Amino acid sequence: MVKKHQIRTTVNGEEYDLLVDPKKTLLQLLRENLDLTGTKEGCDEGECGACSVILDGKVVNSCLVLAVEADNAEVTTIEGIHRGEDLHPIQKSFVDSGAVQCGFCTPGMILTTKAMLDEIPDPSEEDIKHYLEGNLCRCTGYSKIIDAVNLAIKHSK
Amino acid sequence: MKNFDYIKPSNLADAISALKEYENAFLFAGGTDLLVGMKNNFLKPQYIIDLKGISNIKSFEYQEGWHFGALTTIRDIEVSETLQQKMPFLCQAASSLGSIQIRNRATIGGNLCNASPAADIATMFLAMDSQIKIISIDNEKVVGLDKFFTGPNSTILNRGEVLTEIIVPKDAEQFKGVYIKFGPRKGMDIGIVNIAVLLDADFESGLCKRIRIALGAVAPTPIRARQAEGLLSGNALGPDSINKAAELASSETDPISDFRASAGYRKELVKTLVVRGINTILASNRNS
Ligand SMILES: Cc1cc2nc3c(=O)[nH]c(=O)nc-3n(C[C@H](O)[C@H](O)[C@H](O)COP(=O)(O)OP(=O)(O)OC[C@H]3O[C@@H](n4cnc5c(N)ncnc54)[C@H](O)[C@@H]3O)c2cc1C
Ligand code: FES
Ligand code: FES
Repeated sequence: MVKKHQIRTTVNGEEYDLLVDPKKTLLQLLRENLDLTGTKEGCDEGECGACSVILDGKVVNSCLVLAVEADNAEVTTIEGIHRGEDLHPIQKSFVDSGAVQCGFCTPGMILTTKAMLDEIPDPSEEDIKHYLEGNLCRCTGYSKIIDAVNLAIKHSK
Repeated sequence: MKNFDYIKPSNLADAISALKEYENAFLFAGGTDLLVGMKNNFLKPQYIIDLKGISNIKSFEYQEGWHFGALTTIRDIEVSETLQQKMPFLCQAASSLGSIQIRNRATIGGNLCNASPAADIATMFLAMDSQIKIISIDNEKVVGLDKFFTGPNSTILNRGEVLTEIIVPKDAEQFKGVYIKFGPRKGMDIGIVNIAVLLDADFESGLCKRIRIALGAVAPTPIRARQAEGLLSGNALGPDSINKAAELASSETDPISDFRASAGYRKELVKTLVVRGINTILASNRNS
């Protein structure tokens, strides 16, 4: 019999006590148990970045994190970054730059951008490309995404 | 993924006894190789032992040489200001690995123990003449990294053993170095050929005091090009000697053909990259 684990985790500022199966990924926990379906499953093996979330201040692929590892940790997903009724400035910049087409990559792109700007407030274009290299987009061709990131940098000054 | 139990010991002694107690238990560091292997059912552990509860193997310090805890993340190395000053080539190799999401989780110990022939940090540590500390329930030993890899995804580690530390000799800082990961894409790809070159030279006269060349993805494990190193060490660095060393390095490899490149192409690439690696170091240090 596989032992389930009791965890306490904070997701988007809310505390949860949960009983989890060891093989459940953080991605599955978010989508299936907490109904936070903004975090997407693309490849399920670390290649695409659609499942990116911020775990204790660091952007990670939630498909390669076990749910049990979120015990005593803080998780931020796309549902957790708005400012009251308003979108987060990075979200606004993505909308205003036309950087969203099908939208599948967008939550991951935005969270990775947020992690970047929290760490490097004024990144160069080279920094941006390096930081976002693990987030794939099949629609935009990336140039509008870079525009959106640059607009977000401008707004944050 | 098959079912398994999850154990998170809070110190090394407990991790080692868990490893001894449970059959078919795997150590879990960043999980970026392990979880992918489990999802694909290549690996079917019954227990996984998460090492992240062990706080004293997560960072690095200088103490008669550099001691890196096995659980140091690739990202911690990439962004360390101290390392960028002392051994920028190590940060460069770290920066070339995976994506930010992967680097935030992936550890140096995991990169070594997974033992991919194309492992980036492993290839750089090999060039740095590193040693590793291996601990089991009744033994502790320090071994040269050049004796660690035994084949693709295989090492000298026995059941019950944990790699706890990577030790870089203190003279590593005297070298100038470069890491080149050659491939069609800049990010998020495994190199067709990887090369780490460390050079201790008199850049005015062009005398090579010592050189170390490690190559990745051209043999069953990351390798050192010892003959090429021997040819250049103590001699003048000129186009002829560098070309000869490049030929020699290429003859020391034993690459495979796969979907990324043919064996022949890899052998040619080694020649080009040895020359490029040395010249890159020369060019950036002659004027400084
Ligand atoms: C999308 C993606 C991209 C990648 N890109 C690259 C790349 O560009 N270059 C590259 O080199 N690698 C790459 N990798 C592979 C991987 O990220 C690295 O090899 C990483 O360093 C593994 O570290 P980890 O901590 O995640 O290891 P884990 O997955 O936790 O462990 C790997 C193996 O080592 C064993 N192990 C771990 N720690 C120890 C220890 N201290 N003692 C004994 N055994 C141990 C585990 O049991 C397991 O068998 C990539 C992986 C993914 C998913
Ligand atoms: S779903 Fe996690 S990286 Fe693709
Ligand atoms: S907008 Fe469709 S994948 Fe990026």
